[in-house]
Amino acid sequence: MRRFEATKKVMETIGDELVVCNIGHPSQELFQIRDRPENFYMLGSMGLASSIGLGLAMSQPRKVVVFDGDGSVTMNLGTFATIGRVAPANLVLVVIDNEAYGSTGFQTSFTAGKLDLAGVARAAGIESVTVVDAEDEIVPTMRRVLGEHGPHVVLVKCAAGMPDGVGVIPIDGLAIRDRFMATVRG
Amino acid sequence: MSTTTPTPSELLYRKVRAHGIDFFVSVPCSLLGGVINLLEADRDVVYTPVTREEEGMGILTGAYLAGRRPAIVMQNSGYGTIVNAICSLVGYYRIPTVMLVSHRGSEGEKIEAQVPMGEAVQAVMEASGVRCATVPHPDQLGRVDEGIEWALAEERPVAFLFPFSYWKVADYTPEHR
Repeated sequence: MRRFEATKKVMETIGDELVVCNIGHPSQELFQIRDRPENFYMLGSMGLASSIGLGLAMSQPRKVVVFDGDGSVTMNLGTFATIGRVAPANLVLVVIDNEAYGSTGFQTSFTAGKLDLAGVARAAGIESVTVVDAEDEIVPTMRRVLGEHGPHVVLVKCAAGMPDGVGVIPIDGLAIRDRFMATVRG
Repeated sequence: MSTTTPTPSELLYRKVRAHGIDFFVSVPCSLLGGVINLLEADRDVVYTPVTREEEGMGILTGAYLAGRRPAIVMQNSGYGTIVNAICSLVGYYRIPTVMLVSHRGSEGEKIEAQVPMGEAVQAVMEASGVRCATVPHPDQLGRVDEGIEWALAEERPVAFLFPFSYWKVADYTPEHR
């Protein structure tokens, strides 16, 4: 299972949740798998997807699902401390852990070495931390966490790599923002 | 202190709240301690401390996407850590964040290491697309009105620098670090 397959499985469980997606290939893959106005594609600012999701979760009642990566969340480890402190019940942080910086040429990341992101999340006070390493566990895990009070961290262990033919997102930032804000307003 | 004379912190906080700013994050600063205390006591705002300014800009972006009017309380030194978030997130997606920034390295600074960033901050802000105004005294808080109105209308970030003179701290000693 690569990030593409994992993302597809997570999206099978998504109804009206707001989705924030990490920079680079993750956003491009999500756009191809299932574009919708409730998706916010973060096209710059590597590391900040979980923070955008936290701000959303603190500001409105709908559930927020964030797709982050192991390399990008490692750029912003403080996010675990803040999520643990604020403890928003409506936040699910999905970390796709492929032990690589995929968008920049698959250099190995810190989780290929000693970094234990699930341990970091737990140590920051996040009680619901689930590690998933099989594709068929993703849907039941997501259904469970979406039905319970959070915050939740779901760490999905994946193989590095991506399919051919995934291109850049053909809509610009303001269009992404405006349709997202319109759907949040309801 | 008279109970009827508002402090510089109270004057600033009231001014910002009057514009409907209702979502705050902060990074600690002794000069901004009074503002942070007011934030912690205000039940009508959403507020959290953050570990670093860059994380804060992400959180403020999420808040704006949900219809809030967000602000960050921080020292100018922290601006050095957030330029990419300012350009590629807040600037790119047109998020009108209000930045209330204590100006270390301004007149009265006793810690030499704070001076270089203190001197650079305004030019760095402006080069990264943030409108910047210095408020040297509470009498000049009208600059905050003007700046916030501009930011909300243009959907652009705005920063206000508050040097030692604003806080009536003439002599900033190492104990204040």
